[in-house]
Amino acid sequence: MNASEAMDPNPRTLRPTDTIQCAADYIMKNRYRNLPVVDENFCYLGMFGVNCLLKQVIPKAVFLHQGLENVGFIHESFKDLYHRFSEVKDQPISICMNNEIKPVAPDTPLTETMMQLFNTRSSIPVVEPGSCKLMGMISYWEIGDKIFKAGGINND
Amino acid sequence: MTDTHQAEVIFGLSPVWFAGSLFVLSYALIVSERLNRAVIAMMAAALMIVGGVLTQEAAVQGVDFNTIGLLTGMMIIVGITRDSGIFQYLAIRSVKLVKADPWGILVMLMLVTALLSALLDNVTTVLLIAPITLLITDTLKLNAYPYLFAEIFASNIGGTATLIGDPPNIMIGSATGLGYNDFLFNLAPIAILILIISIIPIYLIWGRHLKTDTALKNKVMMYREIDAIKDWVLLKKSLSVLALVMFGFIVGHDYGYQAATIAMFGAALLLILNCLPHDQEKQSKLVAKSLCDIEWTTIFFFIGLFILVYGVETTGLLELLAHEVLRLTDGDKAVTAISILFVSAIASAIIDNIPFVATMIPIIKNMAVSFGGAEELLPIWWSLALGACLGGNGSLVGASANLIVAGFAERSGQAIRFLPFMLIAFPMMLVSIMISSVYVYIRYF
Repeated sequence: MNASEAMDPNPRTLRPTDTIQCAADYIMKNRYRNLPVVDENFCYLGMFGVNCLLKQVIPKAVFLHQGLENVGFIHESFKDLYHRFSEVKDQPISICMNNEIKPVAPDTPLTETMMQLFNTRSSIPVVEPGSCKLMGMISYWEIGDKIFKAGGINND
Repeated sequence: MTDTHQAEVIFGLSPVWFAGSLFVLSYALIVSERLNRAVIAMMAAALMIVGGVLTQEAAVQGVDFNTIGLLTGMMIIVGITRDSGIFQYLAIRSVKLVKADPWGILVMLMLVTALLSALLDNVTTVLLIAPITLLITDTLKLNAYPYLFAEIFASNIGGTATLIGDPPNIMIGSATGLGYNDFLFNLAPIAILILIISIIPIYLIWGRHLKTDTALKNKVMMYREIDAIKDWVLLKKSLSVLALVMFGFIVGHDYGYQAATIAMFGAALLLILNCLPHDQEKQSKLVAKSLCDIEWTTIFFFIGLFILVYGVETTGLLELLAHEVLRLTDGDKAVTAISILFVSAIASAIIDNIPFVATMIPIIKNMAVSFGGAEELLPIWWSLALGACLGGNGSLVGASANLIVAGFAERSGQAIRFLPFMLIAFPMMLVSIMISSVYVYIRYF
């Protein structure tokens, strides 16, 4: 078994030019944690998800490398958070896309794929070797479903 | 000298040539930043032994364990104290004292940075203050540049004021036997004056234009500084130990205790106090974390550097250089002191001040006979300390703290560029050196 057998071959995707507001609406409505971002040729560019959104509403100084470790003294309201979000909502999602999630090749063995899923703590993209074409996505739910089905349990 | 050398001839070269070439090459590599400076210093130290300039025993003798002990001890104490949240508390409290007024904040953060740099070390200070600064300027919708610029200046000026404020002072104190009080009485007054004078150009260039609206100020005023304190018990323990260590620095010198002994004693005491309430597993974790907080790269850089400089010193090369300096200054003590002040300032703005000071120490020691004894060298030591510490303000690469602040600025999208920084910082640094030269001349000649 390998990654291509564990992936969803028709994942939902975002475009780098989509606005943060638009992507946030879509993510919130469908309760996604992360979605892959692809260009017009379906080339994988990165991931956009709830962490990117959280970063937009929390003070920047918190997320900097060696930034504020203790933020207990900052007391903000939802209005303050929205105010910070409103400053970036019309920006393209490319400004906070996560490029650090390493894609796997379709022939990556299942155990190695599972290890990466565990270490990444996010859905992982499956990308065609030698190109950047997104072939599918592997999520916890996809893998969980397939494991249960193998044991004869159907969650549908 | 013969007992320190393994051989008179190394690879067909005399020890002077071998050690001198190795020294120049190591400095060139450190300046080029092609390799980590600690690795260069360690390799140079090993080559001093392999090449036969020093025996291993002599190399160990060359390491100034007082400097190493003081640095290590203070790193442990500051690392534990930092976890209490006291430094964030101080920064927020000071900002609220001026009702979040933009110019007031700049002055207060400068003062807090200078004070903490004098009591801790510059790098730790800016690591604590820069993120708070970015948070506050972001909230007030202000450009962070003037604040970060002012903090760089304050950290280097504050560090000048005490024995433990900046590594050059630690090295000078250790090499000369000058104590905490000597540094405080001789350097703190001029450091305070320079800090006050430095505020003027910062006000004229940026300060008078800093404005924000009341609603944003209110947001900053809503910060609850008391909530910055994460661990009250740890705070009490660490502040007590820090106070004890400061007291030790002040009185210990008269009783023959060196700074390293006091700092290491304080570090051990704080480690015990921090570990006592916990089980063995937690104790091991706490000790491991505290020891990991030590900047080992810096410590190994110092060790390698001490061996490298000691190797050169044993060949007599630095004595020759000392005579050359005296020839250039006609053996005039005032001219020598002022020259060393300016040369160290300019050199420290360009290269790392630590290797520069490590080299200058044996050179200055060699001048003692010409000036009539070690006592007569005091003005020259103060000139070296002032030049090396304040010189760090001359450029972005002049001090490690500058680079740390520049890193924060870059990551927050408000980069501090080398040339624009230097265009303002270098003249300001030169003014501080001119003031220092007047001070040295009036006070000591």
